[in-house]
Amino acid sequence: MIPDPPPVPYSTRSEWADVVPIPQYEKANPLAPILYSEEYKDATDYFRAVVKAGEKSERVLQLTEHVIRLNPAHYSAWQYRYETVVDIQWPLESEIALMDELADRYLKTYQVWHHRRLILVLSKKAKEELAFIAKILQKDEKNYHTWAHRQWVPRVLQRGRVRGTTVSLSSSNQGVREGEEDRQRVVRRELIYTKQNISLAPNNASAWNYLRGVLDFNKLPLSTVTTFVKPYTVPLPEHLMDLVDVENPPPGKGAELPCAAAIEFLADVYEEEAQKESIDKAVALWKSLAEEHDTIRKKYWEYRIQQALLLL
Amino acid sequence: MSSSTTMRPSPIDSFPTPTSSAQAETEKILLEHLPVGDNTAAPTLQKNAHMQYLIRNIVQGFPARYTSQDASQPWLMFWTLQAFSVLQVGLDPGNKQKAVETIMAWQHPEGGFGGGPHQAAHLLPTYAAVCALAIAGKPGEGGGWDQIDRKKMYKFFMSLKQPDGSFLVAHHSEVDVRGIYCLLVTATLLDIITSELVEGTASFIASLQTYEGGFSSASQPYYTPSSSAGGPSILLETPRPPLGEAHGGYTFCALASWVMLLPFLPSSSSASQPKINKNSLLRWLVQMQGVPAELGGFKGRTNKLVDGCYSWWVGGAFALLESIGINPAAVVPGAGAPTAEKQDGDDWDDIDDSLMNRKALQEYILFAGQHPAGGLRDKPPKHADAYHTLSCLAGLSSAQHKVFPSPARRKELLDSWQATANSTNEDGLRKRVFTDALCYTEEEGTETIVGGAPNRVNATHPLFNLTITHTEGMMAHFYKQTVPPRVFKRATAGKP
Repeated sequence: MIPDPPPVPYSTRSEWADVVPIPQYEKANPLAPILYSEEYKDATDYFRAVVKAGEKSERVLQLTEHVIRLNPAHYSAWQYRYETVVDIQWPLESEIALMDELADRYLKTYQVWHHRRLILVLSKKAKEELAFIAKILQKDEKNYHTWAHRQWVPRVLQRGRVRGTTVSLSSSNQGVREGEEDRQRVVRRELIYTKQNISLAPNNASAWNYLRGVLDFNKLPLSTVTTFVKPYTVPLPEHLMDLVDVENPPPGKGAELPCAAAIEFLADVYEEEAQKESIDKAVALWKSLAEEHDTIRKKYWEYRIQQALLLL
Repeated sequence: MSSSTTMRPSPIDSFPTPTSSAQAETEKILLEHLPVGDNTAAPTLQKNAHMQYLIRNIVQGFPARYTSQDASQPWLMFWTLQAFSVLQVGLDPGNKQKAVETIMAWQHPEGGFGGGPHQAAHLLPTYAAVCALAIAGKPGEGGGWDQIDRKKMYKFFMSLKQPDGSFLVAHHSEVDVRGIYCLLVTATLLDIITSELVEGTASFIASLQTYEGGFSSASQPYYTPSSSAGGPSILLETPRPPLGEAHGGYTFCALASWVMLLPFLPSSSSASQPKINKNSLLRWLVQMQGVPAELGGFKGRTNKLVDGCYSWWVGGAFALLESIGINPAAVVPGAGAPTAEKQDGDDWDDIDDSLMNRKALQEYILFAGQHPAGGLRDKPPKHADAYHTLSCLAGLSSAQHKVFPSPARRKELLDSWQATANSTNEDGLRKRVFTDALCYTEEEGTETIVGGAPNRVNATHPLFNLTITHTEGMMAHFYKQTVPPRVFKRATAGKP
């Protein structure tokens, strides 16, 4: 790639001659300064000047875009840009088009996503938003802001259903909303989906957390899935059974068992029963975690034992 | 590293994914940072190298790649000054004065602090600037403390308040629990926290807890009830759905916020009382600690990689659990079932009732977190930076020391409280805020320092990430109180 030529400094551009740049520090000697490039210094000196003068204009949009490209976390530039967009009634489609490019480029910046939201709220156009999100997720499927944005969009910009555009995720933390109707069917589908994913990779902690989440959200006891969980708490049998049970998919061939998440789950099932015998079983499982399967959390498993014994 | 730990790589279940590949690669690199063969020498905290690194940044300045932090200049200052404090190093008066002058150039004429001179006021730099002033400033002319415009700051805070109890981080900006944590710390330190300011905020915090047990950055306040996108927005009922996934940084901020809001929660157990799920929070926190193959460092989300900065955000959160009623030490001794036989090198096991693995976390920071050229980092082979240097050092501190809300200290503070002339309800709250914040005390005899005394760093306040001495100094000034002296076993403020 050929690098861009250095831009002409604002200080030598005739169209900026009416602006007197403002240096950052009036006193010359800050402690712990940043050693900026000349380009950044020049652009931000002019940015400070337009803010002070209260200028809202097309050239301010160009200037803030320049500052943002040099430092996308410059929230004051974003804030002033937004005020300018509103003030001069800048076409929102072109602002969104710029945001499409900048979100792609500066995926991890808070301001990129928030500015986008502000513009979407103004334009009330969200038709293509889910497609855009799906595209961006393919670049970084664990990007925090992208998922938070995806959760925000349907509630605010369009009512009801968001289907399709599912992205394969190793941290399966985003259930698909289908509204309140037919809850039982949705719960059953989510449970089967999660169990199938656990059977593919039993040591995936996200899937186990989601299983707990679906049960808890629907006020179902953990014991709802005891039959499913048990085979994951013991070593993989040499001969796998050839049974197809959709509700209780068995561990796959490559599963490394027993897995800590399953042992923990089963212990919680026993603790839920709150009977002497079941607590004993839970204690034995926690001990196996503390001593063998999950030694790093030894103190926590001991704490769980203490707490459970207090229940009796 | 004690030989008893098994270094089994994280299981892949013959189902490789990008996540498992990144995980395996990380574990491979981390294991290369353990001493080999019979070399069981304890790791050393390279205090001098880290100090040189910090001095270089503060005196020569930050290299151009820190331009991305131009809107976070107060953070660069805070990370650096507080890293000195954790390393038991005080700044000389000349540099302190220079620091105060630099920090005060960030105060916004309409209240709060910006990320640099002439930048808009924002909650995050406001925290960093005020905490940096707690370290470098003092009362009186030019000392910084009395030049903070607290009235305008309060107005600025109120101007950010949202109907769901949350706050924007700045005008026209996002809602983010980091901002709320920063606001609450600032308001607590400066004696400007009121019932009016924090009304509804606890409900907002409770809304952030996800099904995993940790907290996300924000929750969904509104919905649009009509099928057309142009319909009016209606405030949702509580609890509102979280936006985003449980995350270490947000979880620390939410938990610390919750603890700072406790004096403002109604004492009745009414149905409208916001609640958090303490058990699922604890479970999530402990699950964030990496396995031995990850050297026991912390991660920030499920299925993500360990990162030194979570040593503080997640590791540091454990010290706040007692304030919400999770306290393993409170269980009658002997009621629990002891598990494994005692192993060599585990001789502090008896006194350590922490729910995280303090020893493993220290090993992660010492073996993998230190950059050979000074400064601390996310993980090898990454560079050191200012943020990770403080986060790792503060995390190391939280793993070395047990700091807890001491009832004895609380009583001393209550006994010495000087009430204002007309004792109002708000004054009672001030007293509670003051004593709640300052009763945190290091428990004697519970230090567990991997590598021994030379690796010791200062204890930090679990809510604010300031030393206890700096916290007391600033709060005593703004609450106009005389804090009774503490009896320390060791001096807490060393000299360079």
